[in-house]
Amino acid sequence: MTRILLRPRKLFKVPIEASAISPDNFAAARKVEEIKNQVVWEGNRPATLASIFDVEELEQGGELLEIIIEGDASKLRGVGKGMGSGTITVEGNAGIRLGEAMRGGTITVNGNVGSWLGSRMRGGRIEVSGDAGDYVGSAIRGSTRGMSGGQIVVRGSAGNEVGCWMRDGMIRIGGNVGQFAGVHMLGGTIVIEGSSRGRIGASMKGGRIVVLGEVGRVLPSFSIEEIRNVARVGEDRIPGPFYVFAGDLADDGDGRLYVSKDRNLELRFYESYIE
Amino acid sequence: MNVENVIKGVVCPFCGCCCDDLEVTVRNNEIAKVENACALGRAKFERWNEGRIVRPSIRSDGKILETSFAKAVERSARILYDARYPLLWGWSCTSCEAQKIGVELAEEVGGVIDSTTSTCHGPSIIAVHDVGESSTTLGEVRHRADLVIYWGCNPLHAHPRHMSRYSVLSEGRFRKRRGERKMIVVDVRRTATAKIADEFIKIEPNSDYEALTALRMCLKGEELEQESIAGVPSKKFEELIDEMVGCQFGVIFFGLGLTMSAGKSRNVDAALSLVRDLNSKTKFVIVPMRGHFNVTGANEVFAWQTGYPFAVDLSQGYPRYNPGETSGVDIATRHDCDAALVVGSDPISNFPLEAARNLSSIPIICIDPHETATTSVSDTVIPSAIVGIEAEGTVYRMDGVPLLLRKLIDPPEGVSKDTEILEAILNEVRRIRGGR
Amino acid sequence: MELLIKNGYVVDPANGIDCEKLDIAVRGGKIVEEVSSSAKILDASNMLVMPGGVDIHSHIAGSKTNLARVLRPEDHFRDFERRTALTRSGVGHSVPSTYTTGYRYARMGYTTVIEPATPPLKARHTHDELNDTPIIDKACFPLFGNNWHVMEYLKNGDLELCAAYLSWMLRATKGYAIKIVNPGGVEAWHWGGNVVGLDSEVPHFGITPREIVRGLCKVNKMLKLPHAIHVHPNNLGKPGNYLTTIKTMECVKDLAEGASIHITHCQFTSFKGEDWSTLRSGAQEIARYVNRNDHVTIDMGQIIFTATTTMTGDGPFEYILHQISGRKWVNKDVEAETGAGVVPVVYKRRSFVNATQWAIGLELALLIEDPWKVYLTTDHPNGGPFTAYPRVVSWLMSKRARERTMSRMNQSAARKTILQSLEREYSFEEIAIVTRAGTAKALGLKAKGHLGVGADADISIYRINPKEIDPSRDYRAVRKALRRAAYTVKDGQIVVKDGEIKEVVQGRTFWIDSRVPKDLEEKIHRELSKSFREYYTVGMENYFIGEGELARSSPIYVGEAKV
Repeated sequence: MTRILLRPRKLFKVPIEASAISPDNFAAARKVEEIKNQVVWEGNRPATLASIFDVEELEQGGELLEIIIEGDASKLRGVGKGMGSGTITVEGNAGIRLGEAMRGGTITVNGNVGSWLGSRMRGGRIEVSGDAGDYVGSAIRGSTRGMSGGQIVVRGSAGNEVGCWMRDGMIRIGGNVGQFAGVHMLGGTIVIEGSSRGRIGASMKGGRIVVLGEVGRVLPSFSIEEIRNVARVGEDRIPGPFYVFAGDLADDGDGRLYVSKDRNLELRFYESYIE
Repeated sequence: MNVENVIKGVVCPFCGCCCDDLEVTVRNNEIAKVENACALGRAKFERWNEGRIVRPSIRSDGKILETSFAKAVERSARILYDARYPLLWGWSCTSCEAQKIGVELAEEVGGVIDSTTSTCHGPSIIAVHDVGESSTTLGEVRHRADLVIYWGCNPLHAHPRHMSRYSVLSEGRFRKRRGERKMIVVDVRRTATAKIADEFIKIEPNSDYEALTALRMCLKGEELEQESIAGVPSKKFEELIDEMVGCQFGVIFFGLGLTMSAGKSRNVDAALSLVRDLNSKTKFVIVPMRGHFNVTGANEVFAWQTGYPFAVDLSQGYPRYNPGETSGVDIATRHDCDAALVVGSDPISNFPLEAARNLSSIPIICIDPHETATTSVSDTVIPSAIVGIEAEGTVYRMDGVPLLLRKLIDPPEGVSKDTEILEAILNEVRRIRGGR
Repeated sequence: MELLIKNGYVVDPANGIDCEKLDIAVRGGKIVEEVSSSAKILDASNMLVMPGGVDIHSHIAGSKTNLARVLRPEDHFRDFERRTALTRSGVGHSVPSTYTTGYRYARMGYTTVIEPATPPLKARHTHDELNDTPIIDKACFPLFGNNWHVMEYLKNGDLELCAAYLSWMLRATKGYAIKIVNPGGVEAWHWGGNVVGLDSEVPHFGITPREIVRGLCKVNKMLKLPHAIHVHPNNLGKPGNYLTTIKTMECVKDLAEGASIHITHCQFTSFKGEDWSTLRSGAQEIARYVNRNDHVTIDMGQIIFTATTTMTGDGPFEYILHQISGRKWVNKDVEAETGAGVVPVVYKRRSFVNATQWAIGLELALLIEDPWKVYLTTDHPNGGPFTAYPRVVSWLMSKRARERTMSRMNQSAARKTILQSLEREYSFEEIAIVTRAGTAKALGLKAKGHLGVGADADISIYRINPKEIDPSRDYRAVRKALRRAAYTVKDGQIVVKDGEIKEVVQGRTFWIDSRVPKDLEEKIHRELSKSFREYYTVGMENYFIGEGELARSSPIYVGEAKV
């Protein structure tokens, strides 16, 4: 295992396009000197990693490569872009587009992250101890290809449009989410352990969203199907009971919402529609 | 000798209607009279010379000092050249010719260029990326529309001549009289426009998405399981859809009620989707009510030159686009930018507090004809001629029709056009860089 | 500035030169007999020298192109160009930004491009974009086939007034030719409908598409316009439409004196069959007609197996495409005139329909005997991006290339196409005709598409030796060479070297300075002054585009109309 430590040398002010920080990229460089010379953009100027980070090789040798970023990385963008293996650990807040287009490997953040976490992820695993921004696991603008594989776990809360255009994979949010979780979703699973601010599954055509807390408003384009005692998510069996809604009917969708029955008493009137 | 000149067919430089039938009387290089304009346009013409800045100034040691054009340009260029992530903001109240130089300047200094779209109809454009848009130029509405819905906008106040030039109060080839059209207003309160509508539907604030979804459900023939949605009885949505399906040519005009209430771009997504779905039954279009007279022009110019309609990040040498990341308000909120060029806009007044605060802590170069909150905190201020009155230029109407603004009078002595100022700054930046 | 291009193998079909080793002399931006000894020498030994490419139909600028750019940010993300000391940055793939468009055409050795579908009310937008499209010369075709004034004049038999109107319109829009898209159909679309053939009646206007096409053809002759009417027939994209196409060509046959009609992107209008599952190629029938009649020219509209964007003035067609494909859809009607639609598309090898479409385009080009009647286009970006032209050339020049593509496409379609049996392979001369000489001739651009004395010095030089290479076998080498010109010369200046931009120049915008007799001009002015604001939401004076709005205006005066 090779372990590289990056410590910001200063407080970053302008955004830093840091897609060069990825285990595949570092692994291709054979020596730490080469890693130090990797180029990122500091605003509109290219900068070597060494000029803005203290770069230290903690361990050397072995197949697996771990990158540790210690400090405030909230201005770093695109860290881990397209990575296929290895590990990135951020001890601090991370920035926008962390792990975008990721194919494999692991990213761990002990802090909060910016928006577009794991955008168009295909594989691997991301874990965030704190909160995430908007568009977790989403597609890029205009595209219908959001996250299509892998796992994203955010222990804190997330913003709006979690899983926007998601195709497959798993997103788990430990806290609350904003509006429009699962908007335009095509497949995959989103589990929200806290509450949502409503409008989940808007325009969804497939996939599942499980909400353990308060769901906020259920859209008029979702129709109640049944009550289920358990939601099966991979190996997990999440105990309910759950109201199961089908939709988004406005888009001829066949997705499912599993909404906690006990935490959403105002939805009781739906029970009269269950056949 | 009092020389008076009446200029006809003048395009109004105020709102996105870009009415092109104004008649302006010019006397002794002053605007003497304006005819055919609405109150807003008239005010712009009649008060054109109020609160003018006539000399460039720079801020030095906390004091504002008048300076020469050359010095102001030099300082502006230096600020932008040194900046690592400058924001070039505004653009909606100037000409396309100026916007083009703006793009070139943003590319030269490696910055982000964004227009007030970000604070207005940015969500509409974001929704178009996902859904598309069934739309038209305004004349088609005038000629054919028998059902006109104003959703989340108040044209009587914000676009006063819209109805008489383009919709319910206009005369079209196939709709000669008011009685041949029905006007519906959907809004959260009974606005002035709502008061003159044939029907006003009041919806709960922040519930437009539910209302639009209810309509989409009815269009599909699906049952609405709730008795009331968005504060409106479900039956009402069924009736409304019947009307929409039953019309020959329907149109939805929409504004900030959709783009700036909870849901933002998804509200517009729902509206665009509804109109798209309606086309399987009848002819239906949707048109965003653009605010400033050339915000559409900024979208067009940025799009053809860079591929992207706003929030264009050129810091890495090629166009990048991700509103939310590369949009002006968000950049300012996160304090990403270290300098700003503001053209014909007042972000210090219009931005959310934190964004405005961050903006005021970095050097701002402001190009504007008038004093604003932004000019008062700027590092460098360069006065400019008023486009459409003192300077000519191309503009794009809210429906994308391109028109030419005229120069009617000369600007105050020593005041230059936006294009000249921007060109001068661009050349100075190049000179600092060592020439091209 | 003097330039001497030495030792190249020149292909200049308009002047009967086919792979002859000749020197080309350039002075003052023109081709001349000879130059002095102080001329800059460009050694084109072992290289192919042709006139600069002339693209007769490519949607590169204007309202719907920009609608497509905005609709599809995802089209631009991966294909971008950084700024350099000489060039502006931009984005590409199917809807490139304007600077990128100009550079990419120049890199391929193209020097003149036509933007073929301009809504007159928004022509200013087209010119704004063309002004920002570097290097290439250009022109635009305003749309007239659904224009209210046109339909009314023709309905009333007011041919002279119609001609006067067209004359005014060409000057007002700074346009080059009469473009007709789905005549009558787009007006019907403004009510949500369409027409189904040449003899449908356009709702409320009491005129048929046949009458519109014939009327505009007559007007074209009266105005002495250098290009024939440029027509996108009714029923585009509909199985069985080849009959409409033939009828459209036939309907102006009696008006012929030379070419009277150009059918554009003919592949899309050469469908046989009743529905998508029975789709067949109608190319044989179309080609037979074109072979037997001299009043027609066509361009291919070849599709490429790639993701691209459809955009056309045929509003109802785009709606249908949206309904079939489920892809996002933009529609923008233009008052009293025309419309547009945009829908992304992916042409897949595995798709029976797409594979058949691919075959149709090539069948047309291979079955039409006279290369002066058929031109190479992809209807960019509808069939594919213009950057794929070298690929189309390789299919035309090499049966092997065609077979290779056919072997990887839907086999049911492959079996049904007659492409297997077509042995013909285009020569370099024929390629030069369908990409330069023929298009320039059809457009009536006398100084383009050839290398005779007096021509504009627009020259492309490719790094292949036409005497040594066997394009049938080495089609990949041909493709590679055509993608990046060894040299592109524009008005005598070397603008591209080895596929890199060396100099950026401002191309011209051609337009027809059309004139009618004075009394007719005054009459049309009076008429329009009265009715303009009734038809449009802008005034006549604001509709008219001034010559100063073109960055480099190049009016062509064709003499006073013969009314």
